Amino acid sequence: MSMLPLALGLAALGCAIGLGMIGMAAMNGMARQPEAIGKMQTVMLIALAFVELVFLLTLFLGANSFKG
Amino acid sequence: MVTNLQNSVWLLGAGEGGHGLTPVGLFAYAFLVIAIIFGILTASKNGLNPRYFTNRWTQRTEQLYLFLENMALGIIGPHGKRYMPILFTFWLVIFISNLFALFMPSAPTADLSFNLGMALIAIGYVQYEGMRANGVGKHWTHFAGPKLPIALIPITMMIFVIEIISEAMKNLSLSLRLFGNIDGGHLAAESLNSLGKHIIPVGGMELSIPFGAFLLPIKLLTVVVQALIFTLLFSVYLSLVTHHDDHGDEHATAAAH
Repeated sequence: MSMLPLALGLAALGCAIGLGMIGMAAMNGMARQPEAIGKMQTVMLIALAFVELVFLLTLFLGANSFKG
Repeated sequence: MVTNLQNSVWLLGAGEGGHGLTPVGLFAYAFLVIAIIFGILTASKNGLNPRYFTNRWTQRTEQLYLFLENMALGIIGPHGKRYMPILFTFWLVIFISNLFALFMPSAPTADLSFNLGMALIAIGYVQYEGMRANGVGKHWTHFAGPKLPIALIPITMMIFVIEIISEAMKNLSLSLRLFGNIDGGHLAAESLNSLGKHIIPVGGMELSIPFGAFLLPIKLLTVVVQALIFTLLFSVYLSLVTHHDDHGDEHATAAAH
């Protein structure tokens, strides 16, 4: 039995927690300082991209190593 | 090939036995298109001078350009205006290529080699701009980190190698991110379609429900955001190599004197 689904689920869990924390922090900041929304959105998007990349790397490496 | 074909027509309620339009997918699609058109029409006039911007298409593209320019100028600084042509080109190329991913079985950006080519162009342009802004020698020595005593030359060499590797990995991260998001959307739509295969028995046939159609909103979001993120990271890299170049401040201090 392959453990790939479980492994991917764990990776997705970590990624989701990370993305949620970024979103939470950004919303806190935006609510406290609405005039800085533009800057915060930009930085938030960059951070989201970096967190997402880790999950994508896991996906590729995991799928490739389980295939063979 | 067959799965690809099914994926390409998921909007039309595909699968063996399910010929013709499925109302669910069609309604979801029509609702989304109407909502987007409504949003664009209501927002396109904001902040534009009605004397100069009379054509509706001009208004829309101007809003798009202004959005990207605000973002780029916020990251790069006041001298970022000269990078707008290449930034906007990248945005348009990626966005239009991503749009194919919504309706077609494959897309240009769902191919790793296309993304890697674009990333190589972007990072190569960043190196060129860095050499032009700081000079060739200074651009390469800034990879070696801060100036250390002569006894610590091995550490400087190590920093140089690591910095070069991280510069090369920027290519990989840019291209892999785009590829993973777009190709992952395809895989997810295909898996959801296979969930709803042959679940409605009608007469002698078993119709399929294209559950992948429900992924359309989130795929649309991915399409826009990924194009934006590529452009954003490109401008971040540009700002990293050109931020010593403080022309705006020089002029400001000169005016103050």
